[in-house]
Amino acid sequence: MTELLDLTAPLLRGILLGGLYVLIALGLSLVFGVMKLINVAHGDLVILGTYFAFFLMSGELLGHKYSVIANLGIDPILSLVIVIPLMFAIGYVIQKFLMNRALGISMEAPLLIAFGISLIIQNTAQRFWTPLSRGLTPGYALECFTVGVLRIPLIYLLDFIAALVVMLALREFLKRTYLGKAINAASQDKRAASLMGINNNRVYAIAFGIAMATAAIAGVFLGLTFPFNPTSGVSFLIIAFGVIIVGGLGSMLGTFIGGMILGLAQTFGGYFLGATAQMLVLYVIVLVVLAVRPQGLFGR
Amino acid sequence: MRFAIPQLKLSVRLILLIVIIVVLAVLPIIGLSQQWLIYLRLFFIYLAIANMWNLLCGYSGLISLCQPAFIGLGGYTMVMLAWVGIPIYVGIIAGAIVAAIFALLISFPVFRLRGIYFAIGTLVVPEALKYVFLLWKPVGGMMQGGGAGYVLKGAGEFSTTEVYWLALIIGLASIILMWFTLRSKLGLGLAAIRDNDTTAASSGINVFRLKLLTFIIGAIVTGIAGSIFYISQAAIEPTSAFGIRWTMVCILAAVIGGLRTQTGPIIGTIIVVFLHYALARYAGYSLIIQGVILVGVMLAAPSGIMGVINKTRAYRSLVQLASRY
Repeated sequence: MTELLDLTAPLLRGILLGGLYVLIALGLSLVFGVMKLINVAHGDLVILGTYFAFFLMSGELLGHKYSVIANLGIDPILSLVIVIPLMFAIGYVIQKFLMNRALGISMEAPLLIAFGISLIIQNTAQRFWTPLSRGLTPGYALECFTVGVLRIPLIYLLDFIAALVVMLALREFLKRTYLGKAINAASQDKRAASLMGINNNRVYAIAFGIAMATAAIAGVFLGLTFPFNPTSGVSFLIIAFGVIIVGGLGSMLGTFIGGMILGLAQTFGGYFLGATAQMLVLYVIVLVVLAVRPQGLFGR
Repeated sequence: MRFAIPQLKLSVRLILLIVIIVVLAVLPIIGLSQQWLIYLRLFFIYLAIANMWNLLCGYSGLISLCQPAFIGLGGYTMVMLAWVGIPIYVGIIAGAIVAAIFALLISFPVFRLRGIYFAIGTLVVPEALKYVFLLWKPVGGMMQGGGAGYVLKGAGEFSTTEVYWLALIIGLASIILMWFTLRSKLGLGLAAIRDNDTTAASSGINVFRLKLLTFIIGAIVTGIAGSIFYISQAAIEPTSAFGIRWTMVCILAAVIGGLRTQTGPIIGTIIVVFLHYALARYAGYSLIIQGVILVGVMLAAPSGIMGVINKTRAYRSLVQLASRY
């Protein structure tokens, strides 16, 4: 009976952690689904969002501590009011001035430009906030809640709730609003959409902006859950890829289940094999799914 | 009209090539400073890696993001074998073999993916290997401080000059390999696949086999270049050996210089190595600038520096002038 209880802890943690991974993957999935663009800078952009929240909380930048901001000490979740519009603007600019042109050049051009962006963000973050490992640690980030005899970090539950809220909001937005429908149309048939009077380039820029807005939310919750440093982006990029590969590209339900699977794989991997092995378990699952079912478990 | 050198007579070309090689080889003997030897050493190692990436991405359409896997495997094989008493030279060859076998193994999952999906699939591979080597410590002799890395036993016996020669060999070998590959049946087949793979397949070209062959060639040369790099470092550790930095080097050098040109990676590598050392004091800025250059080149001149130069009139008349002799 105690052994069974031991297993419920990683089970519950895995499902809740899966929420965070869904949150990280949503933006990548949206950009891929609409623009057919693999944004390899996604992980770094998520971490950039984390650092914005970190700055607003601690006031640290380029070795200085701006006491005006530090005294305000804006709560990370509250800081989303500033971080979301900021990331939306960054995403809009990237798509409008870089990616829209790159899409017309060749298949590999957007990928290589995304690599360049990732290089720029990583090293800028390193200049601004040093390579040290940081964390967003307001009081509630360290609290736990109890289910029966299990103690689960409160932030895991918040991750999961945030993922559900963002996912449903995004779904309703794409289904119900004019802009959402335009994004859908442009992703299904670019030519037909432009004949219907949709400005594809503008729609793409907005879609990238929205993806970055979700990345901002993902970034803040990531910072509350895990320690981060300027190069953490790569591993979260791979996790996000893993989520959409396992779940199948372009399906929101698939993304959700993919996130759960990766979250569970990580907690169970950690439980049975130790902390270092848990990431390896994730990557092996991604590779195996790629080898056996490249279209994903829930793809067509 | 694309390349200046093939326009010259064969004998002239051969003599020119031999003179360049001899000059490069005797540079350390005639007293080039240690500092320059170190610059050139890194240049030739990067050149080999960039050339192979150009072969994969530029000529075969394989956007491989798993080159760090081959570098790390080459380096690790050599270092681990050195710990059980096998000479470093044998270790380099063993590293190349391990890299080739590994390329063959991962080709089963990743070759099912095409284009951009291939890129994602290969991106996961070095990250996974990084964790394998963080966990798996088969031989003793950990680095100071309990890290997961190894010191290369016997690296002290190699002088800067010797490592320079090794780097020179792999750098030149990669250029010559490119030259022969592109003029062989394999190169013709690759050109046909790049232009239209359905047509190529229907005219009897085994698309899968040719791509696999270039993937393995790329793995071997990249693996050797990796081992030579880690002789110069005298130690290896998983986060840098399998790090995404190596992929950045491949992309920067090949794209800035010009994909699908033979001279492009040479120009690109000169720029990357120059920026690396010129901005060494401002460590982070060097990479920021390289990122900006990458984005700028990709948007303004997607065919890279050599791609632009090849198109200018001055270059063409120069080629014509050269071909008269």
